[in-house]
Formats: sequence, structure tokens, C-alpha cells
Amino acid sequence: MKDYKYIGKNVTRIDALDKISGAATFVDDIDFGANLLYAELIESTEASALIKKIDISAAMKVKGVYKIFTGKDFHNRFGLYMKDRYVFAQERVRFVGEQIGAVVAFTPEAAKSAVALVKVEYEPLPAVLNQMDALQSDAPLLHPEVENYPRVPWFYPKAGTNIAHWRKTRKGDLGKGFAKADVILEDTYSVPRYAHCALETHIAVAKFDHSGRLTVWSSSQSPHTQRHLFAEALGLSHKDVRVITPYVGGGFGGKAGVTMEIIPAVLATQLKGYAVKLRYSREQEFTNTYQRLGVVAKIKMGATKDGRITALEHKLYWDAGAYVEYGANVVNAVGLSASGPYCIDNVSIDSVCVYTNLPPGGPYRGFGYSEMLFGLESHISRMAQQLNIDEVEFRRINAIKPGDETAYGAKMNPSGLQDCIDKAAAAINWGKKPVSEDPTKVIGQGFAAFWKAPAMPPNASSSAFLKFNEDATINLLISGMDIGQGYQTVMAQIAGEILSVPPAKIRVETPDTDRNPYEWQTVASHITWSCGNAVKNAALDAREQIFSLIHRVYHYPVDVLYLEDEAVKCKTDSAFILPLQNFVVDGIMTEDGTFKGGPVNGCGMFMPEFSSTKDNPETSQGGHPNVHYTVGAAALNLEIDKETGKMKLLKVALAIDAGKAINPDLVRGQITGGLLQGLATVLYEDMRFNEKGKLLNPNLTDYKIPTAKDVPEEIIPIIVEVPQPDGPFGARGIGEHTMLPAAPMIANAIEDALGIRIKSLPITAEKVALTFLQEKAKQ
Amino acid sequence: MSLAHEFAYYKPLRLEEALSLKQQYGNKANILAGGTDLIVNIREGVLKPDLLIDIKRIKELSQLNWGNDTLFIGSNVTFAELIENEVVQKNFVLLHDACKTIGSTGIRARATLTGNICSAVPSLDSAPALLCYEAMIHCAGTGSKREIPVREWFLSPRKTALQEDEIVTGISIKRIPDSYGIYIKLGRYSGEDLAQAGWGILMIGDKQYRFAHCALSPIPKRAYHIEDLCNGNSLNADLIEKAIALIPSEINPITDIRCTQKYRMYISEIMLRRGLMAIQKRSSGKYIEPRKLMGDV
Repeated sequence: MKDYKYIGKNVTRIDALDKISGAATFVDDIDFGANLLYAELIESTEASALIKKIDISAAMKVKGVYKIFTGKDFHNRFGLYMKDRYVFAQERVRFVGEQIGAVVAFTPEAAKSAVALVKVEYEPLPAVLNQMDALQSDAPLLHPEVENYPRVPWFYPKAGTNIAHWRKTRKGDLGKGFAKADVILEDTYSVPRYAHCALETHIAVAKFDHSGRLTVWSSSQSPHTQRHLFAEALGLSHKDVRVITPYVGGGFGGKAGVTMEIIPAVLATQLKGYAVKLRYSREQEFTNTYQRLGVVAKIKMGATKDGRITALEHKLYWDAGAYVEYGANVVNAVGLSASGPYCIDNVSIDSVCVYTNLPPGGPYRGFGYSEMLFGLESHISRMAQQLNIDEVEFRRINAIKPGDETAYGAKMNPSGLQDCIDKAAAAINWGKKPVSEDPTKVIGQGFAAFWKAPAMPPNASSSAFLKFNEDATINLLISGMDIGQGYQTVMAQIAGEILSVPPAKIRVETPDTDRNPYEWQTVASHITWSCGNAVKNAALDAREQIFSLIHRVYHYPVDVLYLEDEAVKCKTDSAFILPLQNFVVDGIMTEDGTFKGGPVNGCGMFMPEFSSTKDNPETSQGGHPNVHYTVGAAALNLEIDKETGKMKLLKVALAIDAGKAINPDLVRGQITGGLLQGLATVLYEDMRFNEKGKLLNPNLTDYKIPTAKDVPEEIIPIIVEVPQPDGPFGARGIGEHTMLPAAPMIANAIEDALGIRIKSLPITAEKVALTFLQEKAKQ
Repeated sequence: MSLAHEFAYYKPLRLEEALSLKQQYGNKANILAGGTDLIVNIREGVLKPDLLIDIKRIKELSQLNWGNDTLFIGSNVTFAELIENEVVQKNFVLLHDACKTIGSTGIRARATLTGNICSAVPSLDSAPALLCYEAMIHCAGTGSKREIPVREWFLSPRKTALQEDEIVTGISIKRIPDSYGIYIKLGRYSGEDLAQAGWGILMIGDKQYRFAHCALSPIPKRAYHIEDLCNGNSLNADLIEKAIALIPSEINPITDIRCTQKYRMYISEIMLRRGLMAIQKRSSGKYIEPRKLMGDV
């Protein structure tokens, strides 16, 4: 393997000093001066209703209130993949918390006080609060015109129903597959909704100046996508919309696309010269951004006695909420990949996106795969039991290999799933579980494999500008967001490797769409791969300029030149060493006193030119919708108190094929963080709605996210490296994947320990204890 | 964070000033010490006071005095102070256990024991300890003073025996010689949580007992039936099972967002059994970390 200087090394985060010293700026740190207005939202108290009347007279009398806007002032609709969401509700509300209007005031207190005085009169309509009800033929329709909404070509809404999209994937012959099976197992699994709970709540500040230019400062994963959606919704030219995204206090998918940011952007257009700030409270963060979609999954699987899966029928019904402009693509992604990381000859997948009168579902770390894998990997474990085959062995037999055909017909990319399975199993001594000394406690072992592909349009792209400074330090201009994963550092490592410049000498700033080049979004765990390629290309471009200049001045052939230790060197003349700082801005002085060269600025971009969503809508065959998959496996030893149901995570191992870990410490950080986030969704996070569709726990008092005390006793991160041929230095994304195996792995360990199978999330101590008690009573 | 509700704020130096304001404003004035419940309640619109009386500068309310076998805990005394206090550590183990389970490190540095009992929520962690120690709540009004036994303090959820012109000046607890206590709490995870269920147990000598619970009834309560059964008997497996059998007569739990009625009923048996076994170990000098009894770190 090639010896790299910065790639594969645990380079210190380049944003560390910014963040630990408090120098890092977030949107709410920025001073917008005296002309700052504060917006507060008038929110629906009904899950489904017609708005009969909005009385703002009392609210307008509050001192400090400037203006109040409602749906009659703005009719704009927006959305990333489907335009089904309104800036303000138009005569009808579809979930509790939906924005009906906004009060704009000179102080946040005045805005808040006034909102409380706005009287909204509703005519309640019947609400549908879960997807199975919404699918009934007599269910009230949320969007009677769904088939007319502008959308991407790969969405298939069903007119006259609540189905916003239905992804069908068909491979082989299901009937024949089941006929060949010795064992057939059928069951249903359900997963509720979840919240991202980023530390920093959503915030956006918008200013529309007197020249007609819109600037928005937002806490976002998607500056360019926001610019595009603002321009589209407001009918502005892209050059007149500027999105500035400072540091972000956590995203997890919740700050992808556009949610509340559209509101201040739209308000600003009527408030020329002012800046308008909308900052969400923790409650709003729960109720009106995105939530992770809920799912009911029906699985039927057949396998032969020797452990080969012959057929899989997987039907997933998604609770996608009142607006699915982003969430429908979660449904789509899973509809292509619900075979899991297995090669199965006969597959039928139906992934159905259903409107409900609950908050909009949308992207959340894992993009539907966590939900899908809970059912599938639980089922795999049970199937193995029925076949009397060790479940790890069963996974080995069926694991997808490079070159195998996926359910939609494209070939699997190079990947090390077998290696991940073996290493995760070995790390916890699979099959040799420890025995607790405490008679009230039992220990179970759990296992799960996973895969996930970036879900994105086929032409999602990245680009990079790279500027050399006088001292040969570099400013790297890119538009991905460092939302904690270490993206800026990894990009600096890639540029640094090619240009022989230490990453610490490379500055990567947060983006401004006016100055930084295009990036689709920081989502899909694709940024290391996609933007990494763009940065690599920008660095190669700069290197070419450097070599060509050296060739012009010193006449060395380009192919004998190389960069090392921030200098140009020559393979055929060891005496030639020209430090970069001597010329990368000022050029090289020749004998007659004139200069050659000038500032070196690299430019690079990347778009996957092989990707396509053109396929047969009845089978999904024919396209190449996914660029590649990242695979992995995880295993754990789980100690359970038989009386209380309390669970202790003794040892958790997670192996993931990163292709090439550009910064192994950051990969291990993702493994730890992702596992913790995943485990919390299993063990205690729990969204509860009442019968009127109101969220009962929009707070961190009753929606629990893990603390330092809830970390497993031992985490073993394992990095496997089967290079991704088109990845920068072989790298592929791993960010979301690290939370995928958590839920089935726990459910499988519980069955191993107690003999009970839990088929719905969350799996709280209470649920374990009461299920076990019930089971004991039966015996 | 902005508070939409406007109120006047006063920070008196003397108790008399605070009392006279309280007399004037009645329930339109709220007392601010830690503020960890109060400010959240104002922000959420649950409380809309005209006046906040900040008592943190009133020195006599900040005292933590030990004398005549009695600990007086002024109403400004925080949980962090109680946890650090050697008298509490040595003589009021049950209270010490409870204090450690309340909120997070940050909350405990601000929140006060007095504020806790004034909020009077059913899940009040400090209540079982105070009920077992038979604490006295010291209240003052303009020109009046009275002491209310803690068993008469809780009237209904969020309602106490305090009159609207009164201020709690502190809580006193008397040392009970030869006693061992433990507080066991069930939470949803190892991080800070409100109790799904809580049991305090005090063993006096080897044949007297006090039991109290929180989050299992509309108000925190002593479990007198269980005490009657146990008093006069030495602790053994048989007695423990008999005590557990009486639980349904002592608690009246509900299903809420934190827990079902069924689990609360069931888990109380486990908690009481483990608590009694742990108290036996404590009385024989063994170190017990009560959090671990229910699987928390």
C-alpha cells in the first residue's frame, strides 16, 4: 500500500481551536444591528382543520409589534423533491404545530406575547394519525391534488389516495423462490417516529435589501440547496440570493433541505431593509422541522435448509406526515435497498409513502435504513434459528459480494462485508457469551449486518476552489458543512496530501454561496466521497499549474517533478528544491528580471456520470440509482436484569468498510457517536402523540437522549478497508451507517438472553420486563 | 431564551421585606431561589406572576445549621450543598441518596430542597426522605410563624399547605439514632430523570421501619400498612415478601408519559425487595450505591 503523509493519519481537527476556544461563530452570535426584527410563528392547534378566520386585532396592539403575516400574504409552495409544502398554511392546516402566520416585532418578547393573542377559528376536519388508517379507502385525503404537484421523475403518487409515492422493486420470481424454500417465516415489525435533537435549534436570519438582493444566514446542512429553493419559491435569480452558513450545532439530517428557513426569507421580501430573525425553541425543534418517519414493515422470507435465502417479500408502509417533499425520498431509498446486504434471487419490495396528519417526516441519519433494518435483521436472526443455523453463519452465506446483482439489477461495488461480519463476531467472542455472576441477570449476544447507499439525485455534484497564499498556506473554498463529523479536516488532508502541505496550514471556512463553489448538500454520507473527489481535483489542478510553470522556467519535463515537504522537487535532479512559498503567489523571477507564473488557484468538481434513475416503475430494473453501498456489521454482549428489564451494554463492536479511512480517529468518532445515537432510539427515545395528533413530549425532560453515563462499557470500533475505486484515495462515507445496526442487534440479543422477541421500538426496560413477565405467565 | 411574560423583580435583604411583599401580592408573587422549576414554568406560561421575590440575598435563609441533633436547612440551600455536607452524609443517608438523584450536576448546583417541596409534584425525589425523617417545614408570614409536619404538607399534585401570604424559611430534620436509610429510584436511563417510581426506607434499630414513596400516588406518602406489618419484627426474607404483598394497598399509580401503571405496580415489588436487602447490607457496614440497585450508572 502506498505510503501517505496525511491520508490515513489521525490529523488533529482543523476546527478544534475555533470550537474549544469559543471563537467559532454560529448564526445567533452574529450581530445584525439595529434593524433586526424578530419573527414568532402562529401555529396550528389542530391536526386537520379548515381555517375559518384569523383575528390579529388584539395582537397588533402589543407594543413593539411591527407586522403580522398569514397565508393570504404569501401563497408560495416549496419542497426539495416534491412541491407539497406551504410557507404558510393556505386555508387548511394538516398537523399540530403547522405555521399559519408570523408576528414580526422589534423584540422577541413582543412577538411572543402577540402570538398568544392571535385568535384562529378552525373548522375541524377528520384527522388520520397513522399510516395504516390513512391507507383505508374511506380515509380523508390530505392532498387531493397530489398527482399535480411538481416532483422529481422517480416519484409515483397515486391519485385519490394518501399515497404520495410508491417504490416497487421486483427481481426474479417470488412464487418460485418461496416454492424452493424449506422454511418460510412471515411477520410484522414497527418503528415509531424519532427526533434529531441537535444541540443548536433551527435558526435563520434573512435580509432583503433595497436593491432586491436576498441574504439568508442559516444553521443548515445545505447552503446551495437552500439558495436554489429560495430562488425557486420567490421567483428570484440565483445571483441575487446569497446563503451564508456559519458553524452548525448538529444536524443529523434535520437541517438538510429547507424547513423553517423559508419563513424569514419570505417575510424579508415584505420588510425591505430589515433583517428578520426566526429562532426555534426546543418545542418547535420537535414539532415543525422534520421527524424521522415511522414504519410498519411486513416481511415474508423463505430459505432452504442449507441456509440460502430463496425469496424475500418486504412491504414497508411509511408514516411520512403532512408534507413529504423530502421524506418521500427516504421511502424511495429504502424501496430500492430493502433486500438488505444480501444477495437474494427473488425479491419483491413495496415501499409506500403515506400522508398522515402528523409533522412532516424527513431525512434523519440513516435515511430509512435503520427502520428497514430493524425488521429485516430481526427476521434474519429468527430465520437462522428456525433453520438451526448460527445467525452469523447465515449472514455469511447470504452476504452480498462485489459484482453480485442488487434487487434492482445494478452490480454491487467492491466491499468487505464478509470481513466486517467476521471481525465484529470475533471482537465479542461470538458464540461464547459470558455468564453473569448475579442470578437476576442474564447476558445475550446480538448481531446485525447493514448496508446503505447515498440517496441523491443522479447528478448531485460537488466543487472546490483552492487558493494558495504568499506563504504557501492554502484557503480551501468548499460548500459542505462540518456538522461535527470532521469534514473540513478530511478535505484539508486530501488537499494537503496532493500538494505536500500540512493540513494545519490549510484553512477551510464555512460557506457563503456568493464566494464558495457549488455543493449539493451535506447529506447521504456522500461528502467525503463526492466533495473529496472535487477537492482532490482542485489540488491536482493546482499541482498541474505548478509543474507547468516549473517546466516553463526550468525546462524539467513535467513527469519528473513531484511535491514533497511544501516544495517542488525533481526525480532526476536531487539538487533542485523550490519551496512553494517562493512562487505560488509572486511567480518566479527569470534572468531578465521579469516574472513568470502568478497566483496558483485550483479548481475541481465531481459528478457521478454513471448514475441514473431511469428505470421501469413497476420493477425498478434498468437504472443505476445508487452510486455505491457502504457495508458493515455489529455485535454486542447485552446484560439484562430479568426483574427490572434494565439493560447494560457490556461490549459493542462495530466493523465498517470505509474504503480508506482518511482520518481513522474521526471514523472511530463516528462509530462511537452513531452507535450511541442508534442505541438511544432503541432503549429510551420515544415520541408520543395524543389522540388529537399533539406531541406530548416536545422536550428533553420526557424525550430522552443519551448522556455520558449511558455510553456502553466498551466500544470496539473496527475499520475495514476495501477501496472504493472512484473514491478519493479509495474512501467512501460511513457517517450515517454507524447507527444502523443498533435496533435489531439489541432485539436479537434480548431474544438470545430471555427467549422473547420484541417486534416494535423502542425497547425500553419496561417493555422488556413486562414482555418477559407475560411470557413467563404463559409457561 | 426570552420570556414573553413581564413581571416585577425584587431582591430584598431582609425576610420582613419579602414577607410584606408576599402579603401584598399573595399568589401573584412567586419566590425565586434556585428558579430551576419557576423559570421553566413562566416560560411555558404555567405561571404568570406579577412579581418575583428573589430571596437569595436574605442571609438567614441560606443557613445550614446543625445543633441539638437537628439539621436546619434554609430555603436557599441547594442540593449540591446538601450532597457535600458531612452532617447529611453521616446522619441523613436517605436524604443524601435522594439529593444525588435529583436533576443533573448543573441543576443541583442551583436547585434548592425547599423549592423542590414547594413544587410538590408527585415524583418529588426528596419527599420520601423528608417523610421518613418526619421533617418540619418552617413557614413565616408577616407577624406569624408556624411549623408544618411534612406529612401534612402535600395536599394534592402541585398543591401544598403553604398559605399564599407565607414563605418557607427552611426545613428541619432530626437525627434518628441507630438508623439506616436508602432511597431507590427508577428512571428511564442513567442520565438525569424524573422518577418513574421512588421508595425511601428507614430502618431504626433492627425492628422499627419507615417507608415512603413518590411517583406512585397523587402525592408522596408514607406506607403505614407496611410499617405496621414490619414494626417489631426483624428483617428476613419472609417479612420482605409479606411487606411486598401489601404494596397494592399503599400505592395508587397512574399511567403517564414516563411509565405505565402496570410497570409501576410491578416494579415497586422489586424496588422494595432490593431496598430492604440493601438496607440490611448497609446496617452491617457494607457499601451500597443505590443507583446500581436499579441498573443505573
